[in-house]
Amino acid sequence: MQPLGFFAILFAAVFTNNILLTNYLGMCSFLGCSRELKTSAGLGAAVVFVTATTSVLNWAVYAYVLAPLGLDYLRFIVFIVVIAAFTQLVEMIIERVSEALYQSLGLFLPLIAVNCAILGASLFLVIRNYTFWHACGYGIGSGVGWALAILAMAGIRQRLQQRARVPRGLEGPGIALVIAGTMALAFMGFNGMVSLN
Amino acid sequence: MKQSAKDDAIQEQMRPGVITRDGLLGRDPRKLRDILDADDAAVRRLGLTHAGIAARLRELRDAGARGLGQAVTVEGRFDVRVDSARGGLPCPFLHEGLYAKEFVEVHNLRTGERLVYSELSMHLIEAHGFYEGEGSPFRLEPAALARVLELVPQDA
Amino acid sequence: MVELLIAVGVLCLINTGLAALLMVADATLGNYGECKVTINDKRTVVVSGGRSLLAALKDEQIFIPSACGGRGSCGLCKVTVLEGAGEPLPTEAPWLTPEERQAGVRLACQVKVKRDLRVRIPEELFSVRQYRARVSALVDLTHDIKQVTLKLENPPEISFVAGQFIQFEVPPYALTDEPVYRAYSISSDPADTGEIELEIRLVPNGICTTYVHRHLKVGDLVTFNGPYGDFRLQPGGREMICIAGGSGMAPIKSILLEMERTRDPRPCRYFFGARSKRDLFLVERMRAIERALPNFRFIPSLSAPAPEDRWEGETGMITEVVGRHVGDASQAEAYLCGSPRMIEACVEVLRAKGMPESRIFYDKFA
Repeated sequence: MQPLGFFAILFAAVFTNNILLTNYLGMCSFLGCSRELKTSAGLGAAVVFVTATTSVLNWAVYAYVLAPLGLDYLRFIVFIVVIAAFTQLVEMIIERVSEALYQSLGLFLPLIAVNCAILGASLFLVIRNYTFWHACGYGIGSGVGWALAILAMAGIRQRLQQRARVPRGLEGPGIALVIAGTMALAFMGFNGMVSLN
Repeated sequence: MKQSAKDDAIQEQMRPGVITRDGLLGRDPRKLRDILDADDAAVRRLGLTHAGIAARLRELRDAGARGLGQAVTVEGRFDVRVDSARGGLPCPFLHEGLYAKEFVEVHNLRTGERLVYSELSMHLIEAHGFYEGEGSPFRLEPAALARVLELVPQDA
Repeated sequence: MVELLIAVGVLCLINTGLAALLMVADATLGNYGECKVTINDKRTVVVSGGRSLLAALKDEQIFIPSACGGRGSCGLCKVTVLEGAGEPLPTEAPWLTPEERQAGVRLACQVKVKRDLRVRIPEELFSVRQYRARVSALVDLTHDIKQVTLKLENPPEISFVAGQFIQFEVPPYALTDEPVYRAYSISSDPADTGEIELEIRLVPNGICTTYVHRHLKVGDLVTFNGPYGDFRLQPGGREMICIAGGSGMAPIKSILLEMERTRDPRPCRYFFGARSKRDLFLVERMRAIERALPNFRFIPSLSAPAPEDRWEGETGMITEVVGRHVGDASQAEAYLCGSPRMIEACVEVLRAKGMPESRIFYDKFA
């Protein structure tokens, strides 16, 4: 049932089952905020942190509260509430501890709370029946995968800005989706390596 | 389309009454990033660059400044008047620096068209590619700039 | 049925649990309590934490200058924080030289008061106060300059040096939602402690000038703080050359009124540059000062007089007029008020006439 180890799952979550390029989750902030490398790096870092921790938290809530009580159908509501509360808490802690960190990272946190990739990661854990370590690996991996995708996208878009003449009808979201699709095709090349059902 | 929290904060700065009376966005309902993208594409379609446009605006301003508030004929085809007021305006893009309240009025003698811009607007174009929102009384439409300033496309 | 109750119960429990956690966090993490700010080691104020140092001090009636409303864009609110602040923020970095960083200089609008602080501010800021006043007169001096007279109510008197300016608060009006501050020089005599007069010129798309020209009425209550600024008459009795046009007349007028009252015998010439006759104002008042002070001359000049003006006075750019009238300026001093370009041009002319730059004083546009 669980033939894959921690690192295999981590690798798979980043490359072969990239939550953004394979499962197409987390698209709106991806399309909206991927114009500059600097903003994307900040957003990506925040997503890695939040996805990793909330995946583990949600795994625990599922394993110790929802499953024993047979309430697994509540997972949609409960997971999103946990994610929202967590990001709020983290924002408050960062603001208290370091003003500089808050200025660079803290402003992204409210945006992340509604990022469906984060909810998606938690839900996949449940569907695939991961153990604690698998959940950790998957959480970190999805976050890193999303961050990787947004960084690549920002890099490509910055270059496109300088060199290419995008047709009028494709400006903005149009060309961004075309790029995302091409990136997804490229990532499909990793498919043979590891697979998460 | 969604934009980052920083862009939202910048867009807030452009609302009426924050930096200028009417704000910098006019009646434009779009998000800041969409405005910037559209104008960026428009400028490139004209074969120009933000830096090139800003440089030309500065050139005319420098020539007109000799008048110390009075109109001066520049290059035989423009009437330029440079005036100023006390104080400085911050840039809405939330970085350091105050921009002098110096206003430039350019009148193209051949076509009769006029343009008004300021020290801040030159900075917004050069550093941020921002021409103000549609409906703003001080919006500098890239096509209008090309016409009035008689700018020629640079080679790609 | 029981299942439904358990489900609802668990959901409620999780939600209230998290909400309670956030409330506790907000109360502890978000609440910095009361912090003591010790200023110049002689005055201590207690402020509630969590706000910027600039805002906290303003509530305690200590006004640190700021032109950008606390956004970190102007760099005017520098204070020295000796104890209690964290590391400078990225927004402050462009404004601080390495020596300033070493000395603990920070931007007051970016320092968040989280614990007790020890700070040092320039002494003169202690005499800056906030005033509530009522508009007692609004007079159009020209088509775009209004003279505003404010009668002080609380406190009822102001003490300032001729040449200083105040920061006028524009309350939210029409489309604006927050107050904004703009600097204006005081044009009245310092001896009139119960009122001040300002000259305000309409600026395109200006927040304050639109408010003053289109919304302000006699009887309205306004707020301003001050006085600020180092522009003032220098002692020593040297010959004075004043150059200021338009609303730049304000600080010069304040200085001249004081000289008129004290019968100051210093030789003084005031060059007022304007475009055409409709830009001239208070000419009669200046002529009255000429009659009171035998060594004072008011020299208006028009750079583009209209034919109907039938102007017989000086013409040309103000720099040309000054050049014609001023001979050897090596023993004189100059007082300039206007745009940076005008000042630069005049400084050139004066230096060419032998005036050392150290004796050229100007009201720097903030």
